[in-house]
This record gives sequence, C-alpha cells and structure tokens, in this order.
Amino acid sequence: MTNYSKPWMMLLGSAAIVLSAGCSSLKTPATVDVAVSKAAVDNARDAGGAEFAPAEMNAAREKMALANKAMADKDYKLALNLANQAQADAKLAQAKANSAKAQAVANTLQEDIRVMREELDRANK
Amino acid sequence: MKQFQLTSAHLTPILLAVAALVSACSSVPTTTSLLDQTRSDYRMAQANPAVVNYAPVELNQAGVALEQANAAASQNDSLEKIDQLAYVARQKIALSQEIARKKVAEADAATATKERSLVQLDQRTNEANKAKASAEQSKAEAQVAQGQAADAQRNAADAQRNADEARRSADEARRKTEAAQVTAQQTQVRNAQLEAQLAELAAKKTERGLIITLGDVLFGTGLARLSPDGVRTVQKLADVLQQNPQRRVLVEGFTDSTGTTAHNQDLSERRAGAVQTALQDMGITRDRVSMRGYGESYPVASNDSTQDRQLNRRVEILLSDDTGRTVQR
Repeated sequence: MTNYSKPWMMLLGSAAIVLSAGCSSLKTPATVDVAVSKAAVDNARDAGGAEFAPAEMNAAREKMALANKAMADKDYKLALNLANQAQADAKLAQAKANSAKAQAVANTLQEDIRVMREELDRANK
Repeated sequence: MKQFQLTSAHLTPILLAVAALVSACSSVPTTTSLLDQTRSDYRMAQANPAVVNYAPVELNQAGVALEQANAAASQNDSLEKIDQLAYVARQKIALSQEIARKKVAEADAATATKERSLVQLDQRTNEANKAKASAEQSKAEAQVAQGQAADAQRNAADAQRNADEARRSADEARRKTEAAQVTAQQTQVRNAQLEAQLAELAAKKTERGLIITLGDVLFGTGLARLSPDGVRTVQKLADVLQQNPQRRVLVEGFTDSTGTTAHNQDLSERRAGAVQTALQDMGITRDRVSMRGYGESYPVASNDSTQDRQLNRRVEILLSDDTGRTVQR
C-alpha cells in the first residue's frame, strides 16, 4: 500500500476544489452577465429609455437578443461580449432618460420663475 | 546548505521571456479609430469638473474599461476584441457624463426652487403692500368724505345762523318800523292835541311862530295882576307846556301910548313878569320862560279910540318850535 504524506494530500484536494470551481463557472460562463444585462435593459425601459434615448435603447435590445441567441448556441464568449455591450447601452439609456427628466424639471422651474418675475414687474409698474 | 546554481536549464526560459518582452516593446502598438476616439472622450470627461465631482465612481469604472481596451491593444488582440472593449468603455464614459448632467440639472433645480420661493415671497409681499396701500387710500378717502360732511354740516349751521340773524334783523326792523309808526302816530296825536289846545287859546300863526295874545281884559286895569279869566288862560298854556316839554315861550308885554313912556315900559314888563310868575307857580320852570317888556312900542292898532287902545294893551306869548328856539323881535 502506497503511503502518501499529509501535505501532498492537502495539495491535491486544493487543486481539485480550484479546478472543479473553475469548471463549474466555465459551464455557463455568461449566464449571470446576461441576466444582469437583461435587468439593466428592463430598468432602462422602465425609466423611459425608449422615449429619451431611442438609439441606445434599440442597440441594447438588439444586443440582448443576439446575446440570448449566442447563449442558445452555447457561444458563451460572444454572449458575454454582447451582454456587456447591451448592459453599457442600457445603463447609458437609463442615465440619459434620468438626466433629461431632471433637466426638464429644472427648465420648468426656471420658466416658472421667469413668468413670476414678469407678473411681479407688471404688478409693480 | 544547498546553493542555487545557474544552469542552462534555468537560463533558457529567462532568455525567452526577455526576447518576448523586447519584441513586444519594439512592435508598434495596435489601435483602432474607435479606441482613439474613446481615449479622446475619456480625456474630455476627465477635464470636465462636473463629471469629476458628480460621477467619480462612473468615471473610474470607465477608466478601468478603457484600460482593458488599451491592454487588449497593447497585447495585439484582434481588432474586433479591441473595438468591443473600446465600445463598452466609450458607453461608460458617456454614462458618467450623463450622470453628471443629471446631477447638475438636479442642483440647478434645487437652486431654482429656492429662487422660486424668494420670488413667491416677493409676490406675497407685493400683494400685501398693495392691499395695505389700498386700505390706506380707502381710509384717506373716508376721512376726506368725513371732512366734507363736517364742512357741509358747518355750512348748513352757518346758513341756519344767518337765516336766524336775518329773521331777527327783519323782526327788529319791523319792531322799529312799528315803534316809529307808533311814535309818528303819537306825534301826530300830540300835534293834533296841541293844535286843538292852541285853537282854544286863539293862537295866531305868524312869521315868528305861534303867538297867543292875552288881551287887556285878562288884567286888572292899570294893574299887573291876572284876572281869574287870565289865570284860566295861562293855566291852559301851562298844560300845553307840560305836555310839550321841548317847547319854550317868550312872554312880551305891550301898552298903549297913554301915560309916560317909563310907566308904560314898567307896566309892560310887570305884566309879562306876572305871566312868567303864574307859569312858574303852575310848574313851568323859569328857564323855559323868557320875558321882555316893550312899553308902547309895536302897537297893533291906533291909539285914537278907547277900543283901539285896549287892543294895544296886551301880552303876547310866542311859542317856540320843537327845538325850543324863539325869535326875538
């Protein structure tokens, strides 16, 4: 019976754990990224991305569709790339929608102030 | 102790690595137009204080993404991979700028909200001031109206006073007129009485005034004493003088030419004096009765017959006018 020393056994076990972990992530490497990107696209849509940033919104949707197709084709590398791009597009679309809305609020306030000043000037004449 | 020895087996991989590094350095780094554009975008974002202040995390993430693209380029990865990474980096840069824009807009909105509150305050203040001014004007107008009403009242009171005064004046004038009428009537009555009484005394109207003549028969012959008839006549004259206190009399004595002039002068004076004394006894003060004797002067008839001489023996009493004046001969 071969007698293995204890340190060698530990080294083997560690390697097995690392390898198995690496293998499990390699099985569906883009699943999490695709899910996160899909959530980002949904958020952008809810924030009004289609209205305020139609180009980014369309790009995000098209890339999401392609990423899903790549997932189905088990081309995980392509799926990951497309998902990352779609996520960047979606986040930009959401940010554009939010900044446009904030700008609209600020503009409305400025317009209010302008009208009020006019009234004040008229009243003081 | 075992010493590390440099052998060819060790040397070979080191030399290979050095060669690889040298070749990598010497080769021109790969790039794409998208990557260049992305780098330019990143520099702009870094130079934008709003992005640096408001989106530091996103800018940092964009920087990490750009580094990945740069690394891919320096490792001579495929252009497709470089562009993919550059695209993601570029979108992240745009994201950081967009977030900064949103924050700026929010800050603007916050400032504008404060400003709007101030303008609203101005409006309220303005409205309040106007309301106050309007109220003060109404008050002033009310005061003016009050003042006018008071003036009108005063004027009405003045008019009333004037009317009262006019009425009083009219009343007084009427009273005066009535009094004057009464006085005139009284005067008329008195004059009428006087005339009636003087007619009884057989007064004559002459240029000098009314003259009452007491004939010789009213005296004792050659005497300066009044007969009872004479006293009655003088009494009537005294009554007239009592009723007309403003009138005076001048008593003048005359004789005929019989006897001495001195005797006649004396007799005329004594007869006039008798009348004066009689009047005094009847309550007519001496100062109202003047007296003169003219003797045989101023005869009213010739001294040829007894009858004519009797006419010359007389006492004439001249009645003064209303002011008490008599005219001397």
